[in-house]
Amino acid sequence: MTTSNTSNNSNAQFNFFKMCIGRPVVVKLNNGVEYRGILEVVDGNMNIVMEQTEEYLNGQLKTKYGDCFLRGNNVLYISAQPRK
Amino acid sequence: MSEVENSNTVDLQSQLLPLELIEKCIGSRIWIAMKNDKEFVGTLLGFDAYVNIFLKDVTEYEYTPEGLKTVKLDNILLNGNHVCLLVPGGEGPKVKA
Repeated sequence: MTTSNTSNNSNAQFNFFKMCIGRPVVVKLNNGVEYRGILEVVDGNMNIVMEQTEEYLNGQLKTKYGDCFLRGNNVLYISAQPRK
Repeated sequence: MSEVENSNTVDLQSQLLPLELIEKCIGSRIWIAMKNDKEFVGTLLGFDAYVNIFLKDVTEYEYTPEGLKTVKLDNILLNGNHVCLLVPGGEGPKVKA
């Protein structure tokens, strides 16, 4: 019972990833730094590859990166606009 | 004696596990307090065994030296690593006007 529900939820996670890929997302890290960019790849550890990445500290743009990789353990959340 | 044992087994069967309680909250509002000074309030869409949490229509509350900071977000996948407390139906911290 629980395992089946967990797998459903894993599906939900998978669907969320599929929904987000190729779309603009906001990724916030535990240290408060925010990355905005186009999500390329994400895995179950929340490792993330983004393009056209902008780094924000306290809401201010600090740096831009073409491609960037974020290690999943630093990720607080991944936020995306729902598909319209 | 046997009656007592029977009632105990019934109790165990009717007992709700913590994650089963959270499962019943799917679709309703939930308040999440993190280990650091952050809280999230949103509609629960799902979660997994790590308590990574999907939410929609989220408000993030952060306690800073400058006061309570709020951020509105649409859909988020919250990393379960820093989750501390889940409050079903919670409305979050009362913001003083």
